[in-house]
Amino acid sequence: MLFPENEIVEVFKDGSEGEKRQAFELLVREYSQKLYWQIRHLVISHDDANDILQNTFVKAWLNIDSFMGYSKLYTWLFRIALNESLSFLNRRPQTVQIDGEAGSSLEQQLESDPYFDGDETERQLQQAIATLPDKQRVVFNLRYFDGMKYEDMSRLLGTSTGALKTSYHLAVKKIETYFNTTD
Amino acid sequence: MKQDNDVLTKCSGSRPFRVPEGYFEGLDARIMDALPERGHDTAVRPVTAWMRIRPYLYMAAAFAGMYFVLGLFADGRGGAGADGAADGCTVYSDEYIDSFLDESMVSDFVIYDLLVNNDL
Repeated sequence: MLFPENEIVEVFKDGSEGEKRQAFELLVREYSQKLYWQIRHLVISHDDANDILQNTFVKAWLNIDSFMGYSKLYTWLFRIALNESLSFLNRRPQTVQIDGEAGSSLEQQLESDPYFDGDETERQLQQAIATLPDKQRVVFNLRYFDGMKYEDMSRLLGTSTGALKTSYHLAVKKIETYFNTTD
Repeated sequence: MKQDNDVLTKCSGSRPFRVPEGYFEGLDARIMDALPERGHDTAVRPVTAWMRIRPYLYMAAAFAGMYFVLGLFADGRGGAGADGAADGCTVYSDEYIDSFLDESMVSDFVIYDLLVNNDL
């Protein structure tokens, strides 16, 4: 069944409280998993991702009256999730420091994380990604793990495709450098 | 992304994360249950005739106010004995000038001095 984006937007604008709740449930059903993975790639820990996902939907729910339909619903939700995730990471700066001793905190976190499935190279990759600036990290995750097209990313992030390609290229270079220095 | 570099081709490119068993099964319900009550019912209220015409009335009142103020300003400049001359100068009546001078606290000597020194 096709997701009734337009109908949901109309309900958000003019519906009763009960109708809005029903429409919001459709939104949750459609996007909760997708958003979870976007968040999880940024914050790594399952528990943190779960909390941020919940906060994202709570914020969206409390602000549905201000959603004017200028963007797609997923774009709106993604941006809330992104802001929540980055705020969370900025409150914990020790997890995203670059190299040396600081990098080991994420390594320890991944080693003890029962929901991390990667091998040693993938653990290193996660550490390298954590050293990237926010924007490059987001672009890299969307491109590398989700295989998202630059055009779609451009709509999602409100950035030109040229800038996104540059961000991705820089991210790859930094990851390469990270691997070369830690080998 | 095999064109990226050797490092990235070593990785699978898939998500190296798992979730607790059954996590996604109850996720939507948990999210919905955790939503707080919103502060007020924002259902559409019936639009009354007063609500419909109110903005136009406010706009009309604003224009009326502007017209009134501009009218006062125009009266203040052009009234009390002033005539618009054909060459763009304003010609004031003697009574208007006398009353203006009386109120401006300029002495006769200053006026005389001004007239003589400027060959008026």
